[in-house]
Amino acid sequence: MDTLLANLTLGFSTALSFQNLGLCFVGCLVGTLVGVLPGVGPIATIAMLLPLTFNIDPTGALIMLAGIYYGAQYGGSTTAILLNVPGEATSVVSTIDGHQMARQGRAGIALGLAAIGSFIAGSIATLLIAALASPLTKLALLFGPAEYFSLMVLGLTFAMVLARGSVLKAASMIIVGVLLSTIGTDLETGEDRLTFGISALSDGIDFTVLAMGLFGFAEILRNLENPEARAILTTAIGRLLPSSEDMRKALPSILRGTGLGALLGILPGNGAVLGPFASYSLEKKIAKDPSRFGKGAPEGLAGPESANNAGAQTAFIPLLTLGIPPNAVMALMVGAMTIHGIIPGPQVMTRNPELFWGMIASMWIGNLMLLIINLPLVGMWVRLLQVPYRLMFPAILLFCCIGIYSVNNSPFDVVLTALFGLVGYALHKFGYEPAPLLLGFVLGRLLEEKMRQALVISRGSFATFVERPVSAGLLVVAAVVLVVAVLPAIRKGREKAFQE
Amino acid sequence: MRSLFVVAALLGVGTATAQTYPTRPITMIVPFTAGGPTDVIARIVGEHMSKTLGQQIIIENVIGAGGTVGSTRGAQAAPDGYVLTMGQMGTHGAAPAMYPKLKYDPTTDFAPVGMAAGTPILIVARKQFPPATLKDFIAFVKANTAKVNEAHAGAGSVSFTSCTLLNSQLGLKFTQVAYRGTGPALNDLVAGHVDFMCDQIVNLVEQVKSGNIKAYAIATPERSPALPNVPTTKEAGLPEYQVTAWNALFAPKGTPPAIVGKVNAALDKALDDANVRKRLLDLGAVIPAKNERTPAWLGTFVKAEVARWTPILKAAGAKGE
Amino acid sequence: MQESGTAKRIPQDLGAGLFLVAVSLIALWQGADLDAGTLREMGPGMLPRGLAGLTGLCGLFVATRPLWSSETQESLAGWSLRGPVLIFGAALFFAYAIRPLGFTVAGPVAIVLAALAGRETRWVEIIVFAIVMTAFCTLLFRVALGLPIPVAPWLLDY
Repeated sequence: MDTLLANLTLGFSTALSFQNLGLCFVGCLVGTLVGVLPGVGPIATIAMLLPLTFNIDPTGALIMLAGIYYGAQYGGSTTAILLNVPGEATSVVSTIDGHQMARQGRAGIALGLAAIGSFIAGSIATLLIAALASPLTKLALLFGPAEYFSLMVLGLTFAMVLARGSVLKAASMIIVGVLLSTIGTDLETGEDRLTFGISALSDGIDFTVLAMGLFGFAEILRNLENPEARAILTTAIGRLLPSSEDMRKALPSILRGTGLGALLGILPGNGAVLGPFASYSLEKKIAKDPSRFGKGAPEGLAGPESANNAGAQTAFIPLLTLGIPPNAVMALMVGAMTIHGIIPGPQVMTRNPELFWGMIASMWIGNLMLLIINLPLVGMWVRLLQVPYRLMFPAILLFCCIGIYSVNNSPFDVVLTALFGLVGYALHKFGYEPAPLLLGFVLGRLLEEKMRQALVISRGSFATFVERPVSAGLLVVAAVVLVVAVLPAIRKGREKAFQE
Repeated sequence: MRSLFVVAALLGVGTATAQTYPTRPITMIVPFTAGGPTDVIARIVGEHMSKTLGQQIIIENVIGAGGTVGSTRGAQAAPDGYVLTMGQMGTHGAAPAMYPKLKYDPTTDFAPVGMAAGTPILIVARKQFPPATLKDFIAFVKANTAKVNEAHAGAGSVSFTSCTLLNSQLGLKFTQVAYRGTGPALNDLVAGHVDFMCDQIVNLVEQVKSGNIKAYAIATPERSPALPNVPTTKEAGLPEYQVTAWNALFAPKGTPPAIVGKVNAALDKALDDANVRKRLLDLGAVIPAKNERTPAWLGTFVKAEVARWTPILKAAGAKGE
Repeated sequence: MQESGTAKRIPQDLGAGLFLVAVSLIALWQGADLDAGTLREMGPGMLPRGLAGLTGLCGLFVATRPLWSSETQESLAGWSLRGPVLIFGAALFFAYAIRPLGFTVAGPVAIVLAALAGRETRWVEIIVFAIVMTAFCTLLFRVALGLPIPVAPWLLDY
């Protein structure tokens, strides 16, 4: 405990230097900005800003880049809540109840809940990293391909719970999502799969492209048909910030979300993505009245938002303690460290203690800054909704186009997004939900990879998934979740019609 | 629309003569993700080169299909020296064998500028893997071929091609476990889910130093100052296994020799700079000797690399498209 | 808004199911020459083909739902054409104009095209808005964030 205190003191004395505070602030501000802009994500931004950090010391550089990363997580929720456009896989869930709240004139409360929930989650996760980083690393190593496959199966069953309508339709969307994820070069043989001979598809569909199309573009098309739905949004503002009563009600969800998100964030291969979905499923299951979910339930926003932010923080654990990046943004952080001559690995903690602990301390400071930056902005964001929709949608479209283009500098991605916009419009007409599809897509690629890896290692024996205790345990949980989610829906379906 | 692009490009050529080059920022295409080994080398070298050339060098990461998407763009750019490509062992050596429908020929569609830096390949294994030395390793894998799991970072990656070379020299076929990138593969190697892999030193150096994995040999003629305890393949008994993931700068074919010369001189100067050298050496990178930095040397080298990789990869059944 | 009169009488689930069947057939056709391999060594084709099959199966279930489910059936609501065509057109123009013509052309044209999809088009307002947005985005994305977006390659080499 004493060493932890000494370490944190070292960390705070590093992070609180004038320069590092400034860099942390700049990082958080830029992060919030790129997070709010649909399409432009932290990956593109960090890549662009890498050379700028050449001339600052590595600790400052990493503090700033980390600020961009979790700032973007904050900002991403803003767009998801206000415009129903998830900028990242982790904010897909926030579109479900968060956007419904905004439509009901509770945009300010939704944004406030998200910001405060994220702050609480970020603070707890930072403490967790400081105290338990090394032992938690072992958890990441426990997860081999078989365990990971089972975790993905569990993740896909969560998607069933996300569904607002028919379970059959949700399952169909998940399958289509997984199918879409198989597009592109086969990892083992390098063969092109389902690419229609288009070379731009050989790396698969970018998440941003699919999300912007199915949500951003399709949302515009739907709103153009129903001007009434928009009218509610632009007239009612309501309370700006959540009341203490709101907070008290949301707090348990925030804590549960933080726990789930922090745990999943440690796992390699972007386990953090599962956090919000898992949290949403949990909240919906334990709620007294699950039918409120999907119609603006505050727990359905506060829990996942906290999970999202906690996972974003704990994703640093494998990077800092093992030197192995769990996701694309962390891979960039590895690059940033490498450019500065620090090769991330288990020895960073002992060889560069001021960098290690400075970064951890800056995460908490950054979270505080984000709260300070974001709460006053809530009013501004909400007022932004009052811009007449006839001007708003061309602007959203333009932001989406620029954002998507800048991800890979690829015009084809813009065309593909527009195509998925049409698909999303059609899905809406057919009564399908896009969220399960997106989750299937995100998890699908890992699902296939891990399944094939596990089967190669086991020499084709499916028993590997049940012989390994962690994997078997996850599959059992998945089965339970499935039964709990599907049975009542089927029974209800038989008995009487769904009431929307 | 295409023709407008060409007109714009021609205008660019007209205004930029070799004497005044460069008069505007130069784009350096890195066909891999930001933060990867090629990108890091490009940024370190590019930063110094922009000081010499007096113009900003903008790094543009154009990723996709094992780096061939970005290289295709680089090959088709206007030959005026304003679009350069940081090619490497994959895009300018292995690609013709990996991608039969490749839209460029690395030996003829580029004007070679100069070698930047290479990162040597290491053979590493999980900590508990029984063999202790490379000789033991070879004996062990020969005796237990069916049981051994080899990890690589995806078809077409440096890790994949260098593994394939090792397998063909040993005359063995292992069960190969494919990962998406070095990160996940390394994770499973550290955790002991797979047995061994080959990859660039940059990705492995800290894991080897901390003892999370063990290194059998480095595939270069000399030991690396970053890992002085790891023997070379020559010392360890597999002298024919020589692989360095090299990175080199290319301009589109038809770029005036005077412009190529200017860029080459800037690159040469960067590689002589003490700060640049230190940064590269810290990564475990190998800096080319003076005589290996000319455009002509690079041109010959690329031909040799394509000739070396094509039969090995074809024999291993690469069927990328 | 244009509505195709016949679409109104088709049950939503029939259309929804047929949509999945179509997706499935396209995927099966595209993946026809992929090697499925064995379970020991799964080929690149195994999962896509399996998933396409499942998609088709789901499609059949969804399409026939009116026959076995007691849920009230919604009929396929009217489809508009103007919005999708113009929004798609705006994005398409942006995509193909951004490299050769730059953002100064692609941006405002995309905005105006998109704006035409709305109910009411106020020409002066939208043109002013397009110009302001283009300037704003140039400053934001190109200058402040430094993204490599071509602004006006025909004029400035920038």
